[in-house]
Amino acid sequence: MTAVSINKHSSRFHLRLNQISRGTEFLFALILGLFALLCIIPFVFVVIISFTGESSISSQGYSFFPLSWSLDAYRQVLRLGDLLWRSYFNSFLITIVGTVLSVTLCILYAYPLFRRDYKFRSFFSFLSFFTMIFGGGLIPTYIVCKNLLGLSNNYAALIVPMLVSPFNIIIMRTFLQTTVPFELIEASTIDGAGEYTTLCRIVLPIMKPGIATVALLTALGYWNEWFLCMLYVTEKKLYPLQYLLMEMQKNSEFLARNSSMIGASGAEALKSLPSQTMRMAVVVFIVLPIACAYPFFQRYVVAGLTIGSVKG
Amino acid sequence: MKKLLSLVLAALLIVAALTPALAESPVEITVLFEGCNVTDDAAVLEQLNAYLAEKIGVTVKPVWGTWANFNDLASNAINAGSDEYDVMFTCSWTSNEYAPYAKKGAFVRLDDPEDNLLDEYGKDVEAALPALLLEGAKTEGEDGEKGIYAIPGFKDFATMNCWDVNVTLLEKYGYTLDDVKNAGFYGWGDIFATVKAGEEAEGKTFYPFIFEGAVAERIVDGVSIVPGDANLLLSYYYNKEDVSAPGAYGTELVGKFATPEFEKFAKQMREYFQAGYIDPAIAIGETATDAWRNAQNTANYLISTEVSLYGYEVTTSEARGVQVAYLMDYDAPYIDNTSVQGAMMAISANSAHPVEAMKFLNLLNSDPTVITLLCYGVEGVHYNLNDAGEAEFTDTRTNSYSVWVNGVGNVTLLPPTKGQGADFQQKFAEFYGGSKKLPIYGFTFDTAPVQNEIAACMNIKEAYALTLWTGAGDVDALLPELLSKLEGAGMQKIVDEANSQLAAFLAQ
Repeated sequence: MTAVSINKHSSRFHLRLNQISRGTEFLFALILGLFALLCIIPFVFVVIISFTGESSISSQGYSFFPLSWSLDAYRQVLRLGDLLWRSYFNSFLITIVGTVLSVTLCILYAYPLFRRDYKFRSFFSFLSFFTMIFGGGLIPTYIVCKNLLGLSNNYAALIVPMLVSPFNIIIMRTFLQTTVPFELIEASTIDGAGEYTTLCRIVLPIMKPGIATVALLTALGYWNEWFLCMLYVTEKKLYPLQYLLMEMQKNSEFLARNSSMIGASGAEALKSLPSQTMRMAVVVFIVLPIACAYPFFQRYVVAGLTIGSVKG
Repeated sequence: MKKLLSLVLAALLIVAALTPALAESPVEITVLFEGCNVTDDAAVLEQLNAYLAEKIGVTVKPVWGTWANFNDLASNAINAGSDEYDVMFTCSWTSNEYAPYAKKGAFVRLDDPEDNLLDEYGKDVEAALPALLLEGAKTEGEDGEKGIYAIPGFKDFATMNCWDVNVTLLEKYGYTLDDVKNAGFYGWGDIFATVKAGEEAEGKTFYPFIFEGAVAERIVDGVSIVPGDANLLLSYYYNKEDVSAPGAYGTELVGKFATPEFEKFAKQMREYFQAGYIDPAIAIGETATDAWRNAQNTANYLISTEVSLYGYEVTTSEARGVQVAYLMDYDAPYIDNTSVQGAMMAISANSAHPVEAMKFLNLLNSDPTVITLLCYGVEGVHYNLNDAGEAEFTDTRTNSYSVWVNGVGNVTLLPPTKGQGADFQQKFAEFYGGSKKLPIYGFTFDTAPVQNEIAACMNIKEAYALTLWTGAGDVDALLPELLSKLEGAGMQKIVDEANSQLAAFLAQ
């Protein structure tokens, strides 16, 4: 009874240790709310446009309150049939295989860099860091990938160029440095664990939040990637969903820009291109899966902020 | 150990089995096409390669470029010095540029005096194409000598800048096509006023005049693009009575915005714009093309523009459900390098099989079987021939085998499409055979010496041009402003350089 009243008392008159005043809290909520709106509104707009009738777009342009609604865009998208499902499959395949491989490489690169007892640590840190600042440029990269590595019209072309990300390696290494105390490694060595046991049984479980963060970044990267496809792939059966959309967009931009050069045959081609609403419908198809995956990863990302192996 | 041994033996067996097959097999060449949307070419390739293998010992592996990667595929391969394409599409109006790449040494010279592929393996091309066309393909190579580095497509290679008139709507208000023709651009005010008032009385917003700004200026002033001037800074004024005779400025090139003709044109546009005859959407770069194409497709216009081709009014009249007419106000379709070099096929300098590539190009431009298979697909699968001998496309072609016909080769060898009439291709070939050369035909402006001035002027021009072409801004204020800015950015240097190059070209 007394305890409760003391609690009541204190909550009314004293702020808890990390509590802020009502006004500030309101202000923060407002700012964050506005920020969230800024993120959500474009997507809501895309969804609205994808349901807008084509006639409404030609008469009043894009609008939150279109004159007419229609499902035509989605019918058109579904009419793509095989091409659509195939691209969906490709996107998932590339994202999953790419993420698994990329995260594995990232862990295997970052772990030695974190080990203070590794002799060539600074050299390999520098090696990965260097590529962040100095890239080879488009044409040399293209030559290496296409002519030397044979990355052309195959799935590898869509996965391999993005496998190693120095940025992710640095995130991972920093994560390891802050969450895994070196004493833990020493302890496991004393207990008789070999290098692989130490990595897999001791360090990996602690790294889970870090892995989730890197995996999320990588998966997003792979899911949104279209440039690689533009450079190295010309066969439609290998297109990921993003490039399918990008191609629709770029097709009509190119034809519009060059209409006076291509003339009448370009007008024919332009007519056979997907409508604007259809492109928006494809955007919806692209965003949905990744939007669904986000909350799943988010749990680990939030956990990563609060969990460490040794307290205090 | 046993396993390893058996593996090695199996591998040997396979190699042994394949070796004779390889020796006999025809040479495969990779060909890059552009502007296509192809998802399934298996049926076509089966027939095409069987035919080609028997005839010339070549098989083709096509790479189907789209509009989206039009600028990138060939350019990347050339810049990387790659040998991935034996034959590739090239043209004069994108970053996949014929003249600069020929000069860079990216293509094989086809009429090389020492190894004349064209004479040796391309006899049929020379017979099938009008001499003008091959002449227009001549450009400077790495050694500075003029030569043919690509085979131009026999397509709508002469330019027809036309007014696109919605005759059905015109007649609804008691006018005829002749009224439009006789009044001319500067006298359309009354027609616009009547039609606009009439249409708007029915309760909708209506703009009678909706067009592509750059093309409208070309029609009104009788101006052609100067080949090589990709940013449209220069004008060549041709003679509307006889396009192959010298024009108003002789054979001088002039700055596009600096002539009294342009000022007169821009002022008239301003008048029409202020009277509400012109859709403001065509004055904004992002919406312009959508706006006028849309108006055309829905027949929601009176007069528009088109870079037309022979017989195009049949297609558009049917598609729009109204009678469409194209008015060209000069005596014959004219040829310049831009239109001749609009779609070409070149052999890569890195190709290991230039002879086979030339043999293929030879057939592509002279053998109806080859080009029909490539462009239309397989008869009975992708298209059917009706009683009139016209091709009717099936859904299979629309969905999985859509090829940009003009980008392939000699389109006059193709069967006509539905509605064109059995003798269409013959008339088509005759029509373009009768086109005339501009006096500056063969000249290409080499922009390299004035690169910096062009970059500066281009940005200035981009900010003003569309506004002036469509009358969306005050001409009296904007035009002098534009001219003085261009002057400051070195426009005169560009004009002088272009003229001295042209004079040198004409003196040859």
